Amino acid sequence: MSAQALNKIRVLELTTAVAGPVAGCVLADMGAEVIKIESPGGRSLKSPGAPPPIEGAPDHPYNRTAFFNELHRGKKLLSLDLKHEDGKNIFLRLVETADVVMENFSPKIVGRLGIDYAELKKIKNDIICVSMPAFGKSGPYESRASYGPGIDAMSGLSHLTGFPDGNPGKPAQFYCDQNAGLTAALTVMGAVRHRNRTGQGQYIELAMLEGEMQLIAPALMDVMMNSRSTNRTGNRHDRFAPQGVYKCKGENEWVAITVRTDLEWQSLANLIGKPEVAKDNRFIDLDGRQMHHEDIDKLVENWTQTLTPQEAETVMQGAGIPAGALLNLNEAFTHPQFQHRNTLVHVEHPEMGTFPHTRTAWRSKNKNEGVAGPAPTFGNANKYVLSDLLNFSQEEQQKLKDLGIVSDAPLS
Amino acid sequence: MTEQAHETKSPAILEGIRVVDLTTGSFNYAGRLLAGLGAEVIKIESTEGDPLRHWGPFRDDKKDIETGGRHLHLDAGKRSIGIDLDSLEGQTLAKNIIGNCDVVLESFEPGYLETAGLSFESLTSSHTDLIMVSMSHFGQSGPYKDYHGSEIVDVAIGGYLRLTGEPDREPVKPYDDLVIQHTALHAATAAVVGIMHRDNTGEGDWFDVAAIDAALFLIGGPTQSYFFNGKVAQRNGNRLLFTEPQYLYPSTIRPCLDGYVHAHGNNRNQDLLAVLMPDIGLEPLFDTPMGNADKIDELMDLWLSTRDKFEVVRLAQELRLPFTEVLTPEEILRDPHLEERGFLVNLEHPLEPNLLQPGHAALMSETPWINRRAPLIGEHTDEILQTLLGIDEEERAELRDKGVIE
Repeated sequence: MSAQALNKIRVLELTTAVAGPVAGCVLADMGAEVIKIESPGGRSLKSPGAPPPIEGAPDHPYNRTAFFNELHRGKKLLSLDLKHEDGKNIFLRLVETADVVMENFSPKIVGRLGIDYAELKKIKNDIICVSMPAFGKSGPYESRASYGPGIDAMSGLSHLTGFPDGNPGKPAQFYCDQNAGLTAALTVMGAVRHRNRTGQGQYIELAMLEGEMQLIAPALMDVMMNSRSTNRTGNRHDRFAPQGVYKCKGENEWVAITVRTDLEWQSLANLIGKPEVAKDNRFIDLDGRQMHHEDIDKLVENWTQTLTPQEAETVMQGAGIPAGALLNLNEAFTHPQFQHRNTLVHVEHPEMGTFPHTRTAWRSKNKNEGVAGPAPTFGNANKYVLSDLLNFSQEEQQKLKDLGIVSDAPLS
Repeated sequence: MTEQAHETKSPAILEGIRVVDLTTGSFNYAGRLLAGLGAEVIKIESTEGDPLRHWGPFRDDKKDIETGGRHLHLDAGKRSIGIDLDSLEGQTLAKNIIGNCDVVLESFEPGYLETAGLSFESLTSSHTDLIMVSMSHFGQSGPYKDYHGSEIVDVAIGGYLRLTGEPDREPVKPYDDLVIQHTALHAATAAVVGIMHRDNTGEGDWFDVAAIDAALFLIGGPTQSYFFNGKVAQRNGNRLLFTEPQYLYPSTIRPCLDGYVHAHGNNRNQDLLAVLMPDIGLEPLFDTPMGNADKIDELMDLWLSTRDKFEVVRLAQELRLPFTEVLTPEEILRDPHLEERGFLVNLEHPLEPNLLQPGHAALMSETPWINRRAPLIGEHTDEILQTLLGIDEEERAELRDKGVIE
């Protein structure tokens, strides 16, 4: 089930890694027909874990990798060799029928394939082209190679994440890919609307680094305003104290707490059974609590260690204090609030059966939400593209397959 | 108004769309994005100003509600009107302004707008094609709707916090309001989805955006792999979260002579790493790179310890190894790449005339990205009341005397 907002919009996706595929998923979820174009040579099977095929389904490990299924849900798949002249011509004919072409190849590869915006515009004047380079299509780092975590490092995010006495840190898996993917989806939708109203297509350049650096403004400004280099601050907060992650009963169990006001601090002191601490002048205001943060952390943790994360969360939330158990992924998926929001959408894959996918963070009254469907099996749109969209005869299609330009299974 | 360097002939993508922004804190990023794409964004804030204005950094640490760093960045491109939303007259003014707008962004605690007479139902009784985007920590309904959130609490419940940090220490939150700002990106996207839905059908819509969902969305890969093989990812320092021995390594951050580098193997040609760092015994470790991660670190560290980060990255990139420098904020401000691209911009704020801040989130060949300075409190109150609602000077003076507007 998908939204209808991008109904009748066709997107051709020539992407690798993560950011481009994420953008394609969001556009598919919003109702676009997204055709992912992949080389017939096949794909990396280096992906963690794969479920077995369901009964009666063919055993195609390449259709069951975690990465591929996460990053291409809701899309169709055309397996096409763009390096072959006939393959490139098929792509160009497909561009005539498309609204958007999205790529995140390195700038060199796009030039070599001869499919840059200037070329595609000759074929379809109002085409919208999107590039998602790591650092942009100009500047000294234009041709640098990098993946998500490398961009996180150059944006300042790694330097700023972690403990003051520890190494720079990486937020979860990586940040900039999902951020750039969604920013691209937003911009593409805006560009489609602009084209609908004016007939004008355009070229969109989304440098992953620049999307990510929208987050770094406070640290940059502190250098300019105060010649002060922001360092890592762990779990602390510059306007709230105490804030932290505290050990709970059990192995590797934690609760996160933010005390926003003096009143919330007094409530917490009473909860931990230390009314004398609530009156302690050292902790009475924010400045004092920042200064004595370590002492407070010990007091709070002595108490949280007697509780499970859920118990600690419940009792603090009951007193109006922001607190949350640190959930494992499996716990988050069965959490009542995620269940209530139907954050996971179950879709049926023809070779693996039914699996959940996470969707974007919004729900809407008119159901402009959802997950468009499972990831495609290898080459599942070959026939649709060649027969229905481009009117190739059976013979011509067979010839393309014989030449390895199109394939229904990986050729490697 | 400064625009990107590109010569542009057309109006901005969202020109003609009018947005009322009632958000606070880092949720303000949604309005900033829509303003960047050319929407007219009217920030309705309290007569004392949005609490965001009290967030630093401030020059010389002197608090000034016009010049807080986060406000200057997240409110860039907006117009400001100060209205007391606790007063009945203020609520009526807000409702009438919204009556002239396409989109409302808000981040109040769920249920607050109803008490202020501004619920989606009451707003749409006369304005049926309104698009409203509500942001919150946990969502507008459900068992946790009234729970109290914060960045660190949202990332805790969203499953994100456990995945960040070193395995032998407590989990650590990502910098600043990363997930709340990401929630605002979802909200801006939802607003444009709503606009396109309205173009197609004439209908409005109400979007309910939750920070805990944004946290889960950000996790990406480890989520799907759990569904497929039941393995629950755990924080792994700067290494990737998939720990099977055959998995890619290095992808990590290591110390070098003058700081840190992000070190990353080449997916297709792991041996290139041994070309970069020859004769130190790396080759035999690449059969199971992740399984040998500790040993690889040990060997790499020796090589890295005598070289500075810019040299390491230059040598690695010559081999197409995706190494990068872990840059500090000062280094970013001196970075030749960002300078050549004109990414950091001076928006010529009258009270901060020499400050650079992040500019475009995207560049477009035919339509501009709009960079315009953040507004002073109530800078556009008179203009908005006059032009949108026809409230004249005399009436405005009366409203000011009563403290309804600022």
